[in-house]
Amino acid sequence: MINVKVKCFSQVKYALGVDVLTFELNENTTSIDLEKIIRKKAGKKLNNVSLRIAINLKYQKKEITLQDGDEVVFIPPVQGG
Amino acid sequence: MIITPEILNKQKNDFTIIDIRSDEERQNFPLLGLDTILSSNDKSINVAGKKVLVCQFGIVTEGMIIEEKINNAFSLLGGAQAWVEYYNENEDLSRWARQTVLPEIGIEGQKKLLNSQVSIIGMGGLGCPVAQSLVMAGIGKIKLIDNDFVSISNLHRQPLYSFEDVNKKKILAAKSKLKALNPEVTIETDDVFLNDKNGEELLLKTDVIIDATDNVKSRQRIDKISKKLKIPTVYGALFRFEGQVSILNVNGSAGYNELFPNLNNNGEDSCADAGMLSMLPAIIGNIQALEAIKLIVGINKNLIGKLLMYDGMSHRTEVIEL
Repeated sequence: MINVKVKCFSQVKYALGVDVLTFELNENTTSIDLEKIIRKKAGKKLNNVSLRIAINLKYQKKEITLQDGDEVVFIPPVQGG
Repeated sequence: MIITPEILNKQKNDFTIIDIRSDEERQNFPLLGLDTILSSNDKSINVAGKKVLVCQFGIVTEGMIIEEKINNAFSLLGGAQAWVEYYNENEDLSRWARQTVLPEIGIEGQKKLLNSQVSIIGMGGLGCPVAQSLVMAGIGKIKLIDNDFVSISNLHRQPLYSFEDVNKKKILAAKSKLKALNPEVTIETDDVFLNDKNGEELLLKTDVIIDATDNVKSRQRIDKISKKLKIPTVYGALFRFEGQVSILNVNGSAGYNELFPNLNNNGEDSCADAGMLSMLPAIIGNIQALEAIKLIVGINKNLIGKLLMYDGMSHRTEVIEL
């Protein structure tokens, strides 16, 4: 098992109601697997929100296998101005 | 009391000019064109009649005159740094003395700001503080692009507008306020909504684009133009108590459409949908202005290739490497 911390911002924070979540995940869990877990936890609140992901403060363009201790930020587009 | 180099030059025969600086500073920045007496003690500072005290940046003398209650004394604004620039280049930059004293800005940085052009797209919650700060910092030319009218619902978060501006064009109301802040700034207004046809022409001569819009479609459009014209965009966006800032499209660095590929315009809240306190656009807009200044001056520690995420509720920040 691995432990991963998710830092929540914007729509993700409001959907989940917290700033930070910690997950215990199976090894070989990927960034896309984690996004699915987050979306399931949020119910319908993130249905129309596309999310990008950063792992350990680095933006990821592709699916990546998560490692123990990783810190994940989901980046929703925000558009207010 | 304060006197600028330009006024001092006109009235220098009316004053005793006292240079309080160290020998090293006097040698490196001689006060050419001024007959000075050197002060290493209090007696010379207390000479009778009107006098101008000169230090290196105009800060020490300003405080000294107040604290020591020196009569009939003026502090030279910007100090020797501003005088030397005025004498050599006939340019009085003393009003920006509090910026030019910063080694990262200096006289050369201020000149870059004065010679630069910034285009601000969207004169709403973000555009107002960006424009205000850039004009105050001495950006030479600002282009305001917006075709919206001031609404009463704007007033709580858009500080360039007041009740008397309601129903006026935002760009005209903003121009009037900005000119009052700095009469020397050139403000160009474009009463249009930026689109695929007019975008390139509108932004062609600009050094930095400020994305202060409020919808995905405009942001995507700005990004395409920014990339094509190779003009950096300082992106800012808001969500309730949070915001994002990045400098996009610098020498091939990521653009908005790479940061957020394949977006549609659904499901993403705008200020009108999600609500907004005025402090958030002020914070995020000022970070955009700060990044624009750093970009123009050439300060390397900046948000090129990085995304700042800020949460005003808990004051968390994350800087993501793109």
